[in-house]
Amino acid sequence: MEDQELTLPAPSAGFAFASFHPAALLCYFLGVLLIAMFSLNPGIALISALGGLLFSASLQRPGVFWGSIGYLLPLSLLIAAVNPLFNYNGATPLFHLNGKPYTLESLLYGVLIAVTLIAVFCWFRCYSLILTEDKFLFLFGRILPQISLILTAALRFIPLFQKQYQKVRAAQKGMGIYSAKRFSDRFRAEIRVFSSILVWSLEHAIQTADSMKARGYGSGKRGHFGIFHFTLRDGLLIGMTVLLVAISLVAMGVGALDISFFPAIQPAPPSFLSVISYFCYSFLCFTPFVYEIKEKLKWKFFISSI
Amino acid sequence: MEILHIEHLNFTYPGVETPTLRDLSFSVEEGEFIVICGASGCGKTTLLRLLKRELAPHGTLSGEILFAGTPLQQLDDRTAAREVGFVLQNPEHQIATDKVWHELSFGLENLGLPTEVIRRRVAEMASFFGIQEWFRKDTASLSGGQKQMLNLASVMAAQPSVLLLDEPTSQLDPIAAADFIATLRKLNRELGLTILLVEHRLEEVFPIADRVMVMDQGQITLFSPPDKIGRGLAHLPAEHPLLAGLPSAVRIFQALGREDDCPLTVRDGRQFLKQNYSNRIDSLEIPPYRHSEKVALEVREAWFRYRKELPDVVRGASLKVYEGEIFCILGGNGTGKTTLLNLIAGLSKPYRGNIFIRGKKSTDYGGNSLYRKNLALLPQDPQTLFIQETLREDLEELCRLAKFPRSEWEARILRVTQLLGISHKLSSHPYDLSGGEQQKAAIAKMLLLEPKILLMDEPTKGIDAGAKTALAQILQALKKEGITLLIVTHDVEFAAEYADRCALFFDGELLSSDPPSLFFTGNNFYTTAANRISRGIYQNAVTCGDVVRLCRENGVKEAQNEG
Repeated sequence: MEDQELTLPAPSAGFAFASFHPAALLCYFLGVLLIAMFSLNPGIALISALGGLLFSASLQRPGVFWGSIGYLLPLSLLIAAVNPLFNYNGATPLFHLNGKPYTLESLLYGVLIAVTLIAVFCWFRCYSLILTEDKFLFLFGRILPQISLILTAALRFIPLFQKQYQKVRAAQKGMGIYSAKRFSDRFRAEIRVFSSILVWSLEHAIQTADSMKARGYGSGKRGHFGIFHFTLRDGLLIGMTVLLVAISLVAMGVGALDISFFPAIQPAPPSFLSVISYFCYSFLCFTPFVYEIKEKLKWKFFISSI
Repeated sequence: MEILHIEHLNFTYPGVETPTLRDLSFSVEEGEFIVICGASGCGKTTLLRLLKRELAPHGTLSGEILFAGTPLQQLDDRTAAREVGFVLQNPEHQIATDKVWHELSFGLENLGLPTEVIRRRVAEMASFFGIQEWFRKDTASLSGGQKQMLNLASVMAAQPSVLLLDEPTSQLDPIAAADFIATLRKLNRELGLTILLVEHRLEEVFPIADRVMVMDQGQITLFSPPDKIGRGLAHLPAEHPLLAGLPSAVRIFQALGREDDCPLTVRDGRQFLKQNYSNRIDSLEIPPYRHSEKVALEVREAWFRYRKELPDVVRGASLKVYEGEIFCILGGNGTGKTTLLNLIAGLSKPYRGNIFIRGKKSTDYGGNSLYRKNLALLPQDPQTLFIQETLREDLEELCRLAKFPRSEWEARILRVTQLLGISHKLSSHPYDLSGGEQQKAAIAKMLLLEPKILLMDEPTKGIDAGAKTALAQILQALKKEGITLLIVTHDVEFAAEYADRCALFFDGELLSSDPPSLFFTGNNFYTTAANRISRGIYQNAVTCGDVVRLCRENGVKEAQNEG
């Protein structure tokens, strides 16, 4: 079976932005998502969608990126187009459908929701690529040591379980038990395999428990170790995030970013605060993309100068 | 200084009449390397586990175990966990976490060490064991050898003064196993670590052990330096399973009934032969091998890769296996031997080339017909075959799936289990059987399907010398029944002893299909220890038996000189 083993690098390896401390990263993503989800402002939504798209494009292979756009875009267009069918508010009817008005305001509101959706989707994608499970566990290991250890063990166990499942399936197939054409037979075969693996899991758990006990598990209070170290640049990232998010929050709080769609579209008048907060949020959203590109160029430069 | 002292140790498992360990007394000096061997069920694992408090089995115990003068039971939890390290058999099951670095720090976290100390120890361990390269990887992505090395490193991180290992290399391929043993030797020689190793593959560990403990039925029959073991076991009959596990040099020495110093390594073995035996007759007469004219299976120019963007694993491999042959495919790990077997078994399809099973293209077999009274594949891990609660239920289920009439079930099951000598185990849970018994049960299951061709993937993996001999007898019996056996293995000694023909799988192709006597004498490195011992002295001795026969025919040198 070892013939088939392929070693893949950890997903976050090689991303410049991933080199920040998990705490700084978590703070950053929370800040961006908080503003993106709750501002309901077209400008903010556009900025965060653009930032998210650029960042996720820089993290993924072009094929994967365009593949996800391929289903995200039609989905958001659909949401935008469908919204007026359920929301008849708005002063400007474009046409009537089944006697109900299909209004411009409702359509634009749908567009806003769609753009926000794209933004949130992209940022979550980046989050999962950058802040991998091990970093998440590291963050919560101190607060919830028991739960984080269970999660670690589960993360260890899942690939093992999958591998064993494939092995048992192949073994059964080698006896011709799996080649049956009928669906009911196949289903029953899957159930058989699954139940046998449960017994195997128990066996595995006993041995793992032995090895954990042998290494002093449960002998008293546990220590804590991680391979992540908090440095000045992590502090700077957190400081920057907090400051920029705070400015946007203030703008949201005093209503500088408000916009009402119904009955007619009426944005809050442009003010010093709203301009500043657009600027701050742009800075926040484009930072990782710029950082990623900057590091890539740096490497190109390094390599060409060797 | 005595680090372990065991006095009058008796141990009985609950619900069992006979004690598993009987009146054991011995002591171990600091820095000693001790190898414990014995047939399966002799109590060696029980003894080892009793020395590790956290893993001690339940049962009635009498006698005393002293660690550095203190009874083991009186140590505090942390000291007990720290001072005695334990590495288990299966590399996979011991790993508790998902990242290599986390596994290394796991034990240290348990001991509650400060973060700075953990960081330093982890760095130290990763450097000493050569783990830097895969330090940040997922544990699931490691090879078996790497996994076991990680287990050793994460135990050593706690800086134990005694290391106990229970057959740590039995699941590894020969190269990874040799690597592992070399690391143990380094730990012993360079750090003065006390090591107690339970092992059945003795070729590599014998020469580096300070003392060898031979156990039989819960007692110590012999506990002496390795070069005294051969003579100490002189009273055993030649077919005793314990002897089959000894290094080739010791086996040859022992079979010749010598009284002088026992050679342990290939180098010493060559010296011993040169000094004591002439090579007047330098080769055995081996009748030319004749195979049946009928081809059982044929691979014709098969090519295979797992995914389009990956390299080819099988590159135009061709192979003919004749009816009633035992054919061994040898080759290193990761060369694609298992893949080739899967192709033959129809689990994967070659993208170019064909496979013929008994004259018919394997793709022309519809539905299950390829696997009915035709071909069966015994996977590497026999556990993956068992689905039911007891062995009997498991075999009955197969009878039902194979659509045998209900009235025949009992007779069929009895026939195969008697053939394999496991009819007394029918009501056991398959997972409760020993490694060798699981192997037999797996073969029994295969045989119910009445295959004409049996494919086996590493059948000798993880079983001791006695079980190997038993397996070989079964293979001979199957051969007599007309079953063709195609075996993929990296067990050179096994192939040399029992194969009719061998081939080397390398770079996706099969090279040099020859009978073992030709195959192995053509190789210099990839050959048996007996062949390496007798190379240049005798022409075609491949197994220990061959060497002993030639020695006997030639006679002892001194006797010749006198005459």
